[in-house]
Parts: sequence; C-alpha cells; structure tokens
Amino acid sequence: MKRGVLYCTIFVFISMLLIPFVSAARDIEPVVSTDWLAKNMNNPKLVIVDIRKVEDYKTGHIPGAVNVFFNTWAVMKTGLRNEIPPLDDLADIIGSAGISPDSLVVVVGDADLPPNRSGITRVAWTLRYAGIENVAVLDGGYDKWKSDKKPLSTDAVKPKQTKYQVKVNEAIFAKKGHVIGAIGKAVIVDARGADFYEGKQKLDFVAKAGRIKSAVNLPAMAAYNKDGTFKNRKELSDLAAKAVGTDTSKEIIVYCDTGRLCSVWVFIMSDVLGYKNVKSYDGSSEEWMKDPNAPTEP
Amino acid sequence: MPAELKYKAFLVDKKLIDADPHFVDGCASCHKGDEKGVSREKAHAGFVKRPSSDLKICGKCHDNVAKTYKDSLHFTTAGLRHGVSGRFSSKEQKIFDEKVFQKSCRSCHASCGDCHVMSPKIGGITTGFIKNHQFVKKDDGKTCAMCHGGRVYPEYTGDYGGSADVHYQKGMTCLDCHKKAEFHGTASVYKTKKEVKEKPSCTGCHKIGDEKTEKAKTSHAQHNNRVSCYACHSGGTYRNCYDCHLGKGATSKPGFILGLSPRDKKTVTTLRVIPTVRNTFKAAGIAMEKYDALPNYWDAATHNIKKRTERTRSCEICHVEKQDFLTKDKLLKNGSKANELLLYTPKPIK
Repeated sequence: MKRGVLYCTIFVFISMLLIPFVSAARDIEPVVSTDWLAKNMNNPKLVIVDIRKVEDYKTGHIPGAVNVFFNTWAVMKTGLRNEIPPLDDLADIIGSAGISPDSLVVVVGDADLPPNRSGITRVAWTLRYAGIENVAVLDGGYDKWKSDKKPLSTDAVKPKQTKYQVKVNEAIFAKKGHVIGAIGKAVIVDARGADFYEGKQKLDFVAKAGRIKSAVNLPAMAAYNKDGTFKNRKELSDLAAKAVGTDTSKEIIVYCDTGRLCSVWVFIMSDVLGYKNVKSYDGSSEEWMKDPNAPTEP
Repeated sequence: MPAELKYKAFLVDKKLIDADPHFVDGCASCHKGDEKGVSREKAHAGFVKRPSSDLKICGKCHDNVAKTYKDSLHFTTAGLRHGVSGRFSSKEQKIFDEKVFQKSCRSCHASCGDCHVMSPKIGGITTGFIKNHQFVKKDDGKTCAMCHGGRVYPEYTGDYGGSADVHYQKGMTCLDCHKKAEFHGTASVYKTKKEVKEKPSCTGCHKIGDEKTEKAKTSHAQHNNRVSCYACHSGGTYRNCYDCHLGKGATSKPGFILGLSPRDKKTVTTLRVIPTVRNTFKAAGIAMEKYDALPNYWDAATHNIKKRTERTRSCEICHVEKQDFLTKDKLLKNGSKANELLLYTPKPIK
C-alpha cells in the first residue's frame, strides 16, 4: 500500500515536471509557443502586445499585434531607470493597448539579446502588477515567430481603447525598506551575471560594485536556450531549486541593476514554477548601492 | 566570415537593378567610373561615392524637388552657420565661412541619397543601404535617427532620458509630424529652423479650447503664449552638451532647464545648453569678439512629451518650488553675459 502511494506521488510529480509551463489559476499558460499563438490568434479576448521599436513593428509584426514600445512600460522615475510608470499613466497605457481585466495578453519582443529578452518578462510583470491575471510571454519572441515562418503583417493595429482601472498587486513588488528588513529572512536572488554578483564588474550608473548582503546568484540568462526560448520546465525547476530551494511558500526577492533583468526569474518562479511569494526589488542595485546604510557584500 | 555576409549592407541586389527604373542607365550614370574597366583601379577611376550631393543628378528627373531642396536647411546647413554667426565680427565671419563652415559644418549636409538610399555617415560610419540600394520613400529609423541620434531621436524613443515620447508610444515616427515640405524645402530660403513655416506645432493637432478636462482647459488658457507646451509637457531630462572644442572634446549629461526663450525673452520654455565656449574657434583664429551677444542656452523643442508630468500634476512645482528654473547661481561659469536675460522667477499663484 505504502509503495503504491509512493509510486503514485512520484508519478504525479514527474507528470507535473513534464507538462510545460502549467499554471492552474490561469486561462492562458504563462509561456506560450508560436504554434499555440498561431492557432489562437482569432480568440477575441487575446491581445498581443509587441514591445519592439515602432520602426521594427512597422517593418513586420504578428498579425493583430498592438505596438507599445518597452520604454513606455518602464520609465525613468525619481532618478531610477526602468520604474513602473505613475499609475494614471499606466492605466492609460494599458487602456490604449485595448487591454481589459479579462484579456488574455501575450507579450512579444525580440529575444536575441539579454535586455530584449528581459524586456518581455518585465512588461509581463508590469501587467501583473497592474492587476491583469492572464499574462503570457511568447517563447522565443518575435525571432522565433519569424524563423518558424508564421504569418507577418505590416498593417499597424489601432486597438479599441478601454478604460482600464489599475488594481495594484503589491505582493509582487518590494521596496528598499522591505528588502533591508528581509535580509536573513527571505531568499534574496541576484539575477545578474556572476561577475556583477561577485563585485568584479558594475554598470556606470550603479554607485558601487557588489551585491545585497546574503544574496544568492541566479543569472537571468541561465533560463534561456541559445535561440531565446526558455529551457524546459525541469531545467528551470532545477536551476531555481538549486538557488532558492524547493519551499514554494518562502519569500523570495529578486533584483538586478534596474529591475529589468530580474523580471525573468520573478516571472518564471511565480508564474511557471508555482513559487507563491516572489517579489521584484524594482529599485535594484541602482538604488541600493547609492545608500550607504544598505548592507552589501563582498 | 564570407565577404557576401561581411558586406551584406553594401551589396546591390541584381534583381533590383533589373526592376528599378533608377538603374536603367547603368551604375555609371550616377557614380561615374569606367564600366568597361577590367581592374578595380580602372573601373573606379573618377568614381563618385555620393552622387546625389550634386543635385543635378537627381534633378534630371526630380527637377521640382531639386530646385527647392538646394535651399533647404538639410542641404544648406545654414542653421549651423547662423546659430553661431551672431558671435562674430564681420571679419571673423569671413574666416568662419572659409575655414570652418565650408570644411566642417557643410560636410553634414544631407544629399538626396542620405535619406533615400543609404543611411548617412555619422563620425565616418554608415550602417549601409537602407534596403539593398533600393530608392526608398522614407525610413525614419535608418535616416533621421542617424543624424539626429544624439539629441532628438533617443530622447523621443526614451533610450536617452528614460521615457518614450507619448507620440512614439502611439506609434508615430518623425515623418508623421514633420512633412515633406520641411525636408524638400519650398521656394523660401531660411536661415534657421525657427523660420521654417512648414514645421509642425502642437496646436496644429491639439487645439486650445478642445481639452477634455476643466483643469487642462484652464491651465492652457492661463499659460497660452506665455509658457511653451514643452515647458509643462516635456517628460524628463534631455541631453545637454558642454565645452565643445576645449581641447578635450565635448561632454554631455542629462538635464532639464526652464527659462525665457532667447528668441523673444518672454516665453518660458525648455532650454538646452549650447556647447560653444569662448575658445571654441581659437584654432581657426576666431576669438568671437561678440561672444556675449548670444546666450549659452537655446530654446529646445524637446521630443520627450508626456500627457502628464510633475508640472501638469502640480502647479506648486513651478509656482512655489520653482523647480528646474535657471537661476543666477546655476548659470554656466564664464558663460555669456546674455545668459542673464533668460532668468525667470515664476510668480506665486493668486
């Protein structure tokens, strides 16, 4: 009997790992394939948001996709890069893209370079912050769509505007004060490359090299295959487990330099892998390293 | 890397040559050289890299455009000359025209091909053909964005300053506002872009009195003709260049400055630092005898417009805190005496 229960448990666990990108509370998978998107393009609830530059969008895009460039979703605020726009602006941006609370949103961008890849998850996270439940990203981005020879359009889409009311999801957002208090309690994840984590390198606008005290390293780009698609669920799960453990109820705070790169693991851990308490520290190193009282290492 | 990949941006598509009437008279009709030359040297003897710098070439068929384009600011670059000439004595002006303007400033003029065939060279570098030597009608991202890639285009997309202009957010690119007549010119000869009658204005689309909210209506009525649209709706910092030709190269940093427009000394607007310093033209033997006649700040048509900004959200930002206004202590050190004419202190709200 005991052996039967054990086999059953193992079967369920393995099945979960094999099913790609499942999330029970959603009406759309968090990561959708180009085939899925091609089959579901006529769903009236679907809104494809293309975050590439306007010029690139005009050259060619997924039919029906609306264009809202990344720099609209993440703005300079109080001297910090890549911040969430003021909420009234955010409501306008979402509304002008034709998004409603019940929309199924798929975010699309280039998936060639790290900033472009993380731009996609950053916009997805911003939409989740604004209260949109059903947000997905296109696996492999626009590059995969093109290489798969899916249909393209050059007709700019003018969406029907909605009046969107932002319902802030504070549970996925961490301010500096919260992070300071969470040192030693929550798992703090540095999503930058190893050289940045180890303090050997820093960006010009970050005041000093190093990391937040107690942070573990889980580089954002480790989540991707060479072609910009995500690694499979088992690989992602193993990477996450190695860095933050398997306790899905534990608080996890992810940061990087500006709050863009870290969105990759915030999105994967919370929306793909089922970690229940994952926050992005949006101010990230740009804010942290300016503060002489914020604990750092090495 | 195979040569065809390395030089991909510079290769001409054979199919295109057969299909496009521009090539009907052969490459040499524009580029000269010797089509019968069997060696590289012979074939390229007399080769013209930028044939459309000579407007007669395009003018053979596009006579109407060539006629007006010769006086367009994009071709004459007269704005660069007149922007600084107010600082020169007449003797210095002659030296400037010969030694600086013709040899340096004029090299930035846009030929027809810079907008319609090949992305313009910036600092000696071009990204190649816009589309395989095809003659394209427009491609803002590969043409306008190159020459205006320092102070306008990246501010418009938000890559500099950190927040995209609301018009870019809505999918508009340069040529949605700036119309053909601005580039191709009209019969008018302009000295600076400020004189260009064909340039767009905010109120051309956003009529005063058509506002959706009472707050906007009141605010626009109150500030109309006294404060420029940019002053309130510029969404953040923009690039300011400093210390040109001080021997160490110009530097730039983001900033946001409000003051009186040097054009009329009465409209409050966004100001951008001009990097011309007292010894900018020292190497050319120009001391700028009338340096103090012009200020070190020009009114800036910032391309980072937002519906809401700190200043549209709160009157106190200007009228109480006087944030970002140019003050005497903020003026550039050893700057022009004319800078003081741009200072403005906002009045308290009655």
